[in-house]
Formats: sequence, C-alpha cells, structure tokens
Amino acid sequence: MSKSKEELLKQLSDCVFEMEDEEIISVAQEYLDAGYDPLEGITEGLVDGMNRAGVMYEEEEYFITDLLICSDAMYNGLDILKPHLPQKNLEGEKTYKCVIGVVEGDTHDIGKNLVKIMLETAGFEMYDLGRDVPLRNFIDKVKKVDADLVCLSTLMTTTMPGMKKVVEMLKEENMYENTKVMIGGGPISQTYCDKIDANGYSPNAVEAVKLAKLLVGMGIPA
Amino acid sequence: MHKLDQMTPNERLQAFMTGKEMDRILAMPILVSIAHRVVGMTHKEKRSSAVNEAAAQIGCYEKYGNDIIIIEYGLHGIGRALGTKMGDPEDSVPAVEENILKDLDDLDKLDFSLTTKENDPELQRTLEACRICKEKVGDEVPVGVLISGPFTAAASVYPVEKMLRATRRSPEKVHALLRKVTDALKGIYVDYINEGVLILQCDPISSGTLLHPNQYREFVKPYATELNETINDAEGVNVLHMCGNITNTIHDIVGTGGAMLSIDNVVDMEFAKKEVGDQLPLLGNVDPVGVLLHGTKKEVHEAVRKTIRKGYDNPKGFILASGCDITQNVPIENIDAFMEAARKYGKYPLDKELLGIEN
Repeated sequence: MSKSKEELLKQLSDCVFEMEDEEIISVAQEYLDAGYDPLEGITEGLVDGMNRAGVMYEEEEYFITDLLICSDAMYNGLDILKPHLPQKNLEGEKTYKCVIGVVEGDTHDIGKNLVKIMLETAGFEMYDLGRDVPLRNFIDKVKKVDADLVCLSTLMTTTMPGMKKVVEMLKEENMYENTKVMIGGGPISQTYCDKIDANGYSPNAVEAVKLAKLLVGMGIPA
Repeated sequence: MHKLDQMTPNERLQAFMTGKEMDRILAMPILVSIAHRVVGMTHKEKRSSAVNEAAAQIGCYEKYGNDIIIIEYGLHGIGRALGTKMGDPEDSVPAVEENILKDLDDLDKLDFSLTTKENDPELQRTLEACRICKEKVGDEVPVGVLISGPFTAAASVYPVEKMLRATRRSPEKVHALLRKVTDALKGIYVDYINEGVLILQCDPISSGTLLHPNQYREFVKPYATELNETINDAEGVNVLHMCGNITNTIHDIVGTGGAMLSIDNVVDMEFAKKEVGDQLPLLGNVDPVGVLLHGTKKEVHEAVRKTIRKGYDNPKGFILASGCDITQNVPIENIDAFMEAARKYGKYPLDKELLGIEN
C-alpha cells in the first residue's frame, strides 16, 4: 500500500532534520511517484525540516556542521522535486530577491553560505555572488535582478571598509531607499552597522532570517 | 630597554613567573599583522626575507617596549608547504586560495616531508628571523612564534566546510588527516623551541564559533594534548590563543596542557578567571576591532583600565593583551595609547583607586 501524503511529507521533513541526505532522494521520488504536489513537498516537507533544524541551532542543540548536512539533504530533495514544479505556480505572489556575497579581499564563506541556506529556506530568491566579490558586482546584480536585499559578509577587518563602500555606491546610484543592506561576519557589530548606514546586522544565520523578513516586510500584510 | 620602563621584558616575565615584584604589568599587544606598518614596510616586504621579518618585530619592540615579539609562521603553513595555493598580496596577510587536498581519500598522496625545515624555505626563513631577533634583542625580550594548532592546520590542507561535514560522514578520515598534521606540527614546534622561542599556538577554527564542544573533544583535544606534551618534553613554553567563543570548552582547552591561555574579547575575563584562573595565567583581551580599530585614544585607555580591573587578581596571574592579533589598519596611535595606558593603569603597585576597584 502506498503511503499517505502526510506520511511522506513527515518523512521528507525528518530526512532533512535528521541529516539523511541519501535516503531523502528515494523518499522524494516516492512522493512524486505517488502523484503528490511537489510545491507542498518542498514547503511542508523539506523547508519544514530545515526550519526544525534552525530551531535546534538556535537552542544550541544543533551546530554548524549539523546545519550544513541538513541543508545537503534539503538540496538533494529539491533536486528531485523542483523540476516538477508548475512554471507559474507563484504568479501574483511577491518574490523577495536577495543578493549575497563575501566582500572583495576575503575568501571566508562559511557564514555567508549558512545565511544563504537559511534565507533560501525562508523563501527568498537568492543570488549568490560567492566570495572575494568585487564591490561593483553587488550593485550591478542588485540592479539586474531588482533585488530587495543585499547581504554582505566578511571575516576580516581589512575588508570591512568594502561594506561601507557598497552602501555609498547604493546611495550614489539612488538605490539606497529601495534596497536594504544587511551585514555580518566575525568582526562586524551593530555599532559598525550604524556607523556605515547599513540597514541591519545579525550575529548568526537564524537571526539573519528574522532580520531579513523584517527589513523587506516579508509576511507583513501590505 | 624602553625609556619609560624600569625592567626589561625578560626581567619582568621572570619576576611574573616567580612571583617577584615588577615595575608594571606585562603588556603584550599582539603585534603581528600590523608590525610591517609600524616600521613602514608593506606586508610583502616584511615576509620577503628573514631580515625584514625580524626588523619589523624589533622595530615594534624599540618603539613600544611591548613584552613579547612574535615571528609569524602563520595559520596556513602546513597547507602552504604541502601545496595549498596562497595569495601573494602586496599589503596584507596571504590567505588560502585553493586547498591542496580535494578528497580525503587522497591523503596518502601528500608528501609531508615538504613541511620539514630541510624542505620548507618559509620555515627556514622564519627560523632565521627568530635567530636574528634572539641575537639582537633576545637578552631583553622574549621571542615567540605564531603558529597554528592541529585543527586550523588541517583546514589549511583541506577546506574547512568539507572538513566540518566530514566530521560527521567520515570521522576516521578526519582523524587520519589530523594524525599527519599533528606529527608534522610536532617537528616544527621543536624546531622553534630549539631556537629558544615561545610557542603561541592558535587554533581559531576549533573554537566554539565553528565546532560543537563534542567535536572539540573528539577532533581537537587529543591532538592538542599530544602537541603540548611534545612542547613540554622539549622544555618549551606554550601560550594557547583561541580566537572566538570558548565558553563551552574552556576546561577542555586548558586540559590540553598549555602554560598560559590567551582569550578573545568575546570571552569575559571574569568568566575565564573564575573557571580556570587557578590553573594557569590568563592573557587578554582588549577588543581589537571595536576598541583598537574603531575606538579613540580615550576609549583605548578606558578598555585597558577595565581589562586590568577584571584580570589583575587572577590567581595564577594576568598579562594584558589584545583579544586577537592587531589588524594592519588599526591606527598606530592606538597602539601607543594601549602601551601608554598599560604603563599608567598597570604600574606597580597598582593604584586601585585609579583602576576603579572598590576595596
């Protein structure tokens, strides 16, 4: 007998939460084969599991390694389900777009990768520019995709001024009003955020999601 | 000796270790990444030769009278020697561009003899820099070397994010890498100790910012303990410096057997004092970014005063230091302010009223 949708959604969520990055592939396939809705599989299954992992991270039960492996499982599930999404599923709904990257001169990207995973899980459309990103590229990408948010990360003090420069460039191009800037990384603080006129600072990836939603007004009725 | 002091750093350290009187508190602003700027070189010039590396450190000492001079083997040395691709920036610390090891299954293909002093010109250069410093100012000031601990050294060979995943997926392969890295580090530590140099063992990647305490216990502690035994056997001195948050692992870290513990500014000195202050001297922990990089002279003074106030009565002793290496874009005046404040608030006998200590 084939499993119920609820049963499989729970299994998808559990696979992410319990870091079963191989098992999830067959569960996702089983879910599709049974003819269930792929979008629901993502939101109620995969994302649900990642959100549960996020809660555990916040409670310091899960650690960075755990989040990384949970996200591997989530992406493996996404690879199966995503191709089956109807193209115009989200029409009429606002998509929030976010450009993210590690500023020029710095190649440390674990923090950036975690924030990207968590924002993606929260429903942001992510444009990851990678690490050691020339400052101009942030502006160009924001313009090109009409992003609501840009996230800048650095671990090094020597590259911190690059964040300030990006804020200044956004101002010069009259994009500052419409694009929110979030910053994070080892040496970054709220004080530095205020000093350079960024819109927000977050000390970790879970907080970053809350802050990002707040800044762009996601989930708040217009 | 610095004109404002009555003792040399060596005399002061000796007095510190034997419980004798000192003229002022020991002050060790970690002047590694900024040393070249103090003497007007670029970072590339500094690292281009043993003579320049030594000159930058001696220049700092002559200017500040700081209580240790530090030669930079660095955090990525093992990986670099094995073939990890490093940047070669004109005026900043080189960073890893591409790790040599892509797959842990290829570990046996790496030739670890490349990390020895016979084969690694960078190790030769920094050992030579230590010799120059010892010869020129070694009778006055201790010479140390900044070098990685086991986990950070492993991350110079194999990418951090992959290694974090591998701690779950193939822990035995991570152990195999750590085994080889630790053995290589042992030889290098002994090379420096033979030059009469203190070991400043930094393991930022193993801090609680990235690793769970259980991961620290499984993947770092056994190797760090072995390394500290090696240092002790060679009659060296090991100062452990941990960047990042070590609140949950401080007892494990101290349990590895370092002679002193240097803490980051994210760890509260009062907390460290309470937890491990009866076991070893503490160094720390003036904020290198919030205060030294972005603060005013007045804020540096206040931070030094507050740090001394928190640490001065540590049962096993306290050394004023920065919470981490001082980055090269810190205003030079703030280092002056740090040492000025150390001489003002750290002058013995301590003026408790000046420090704001209530009796």
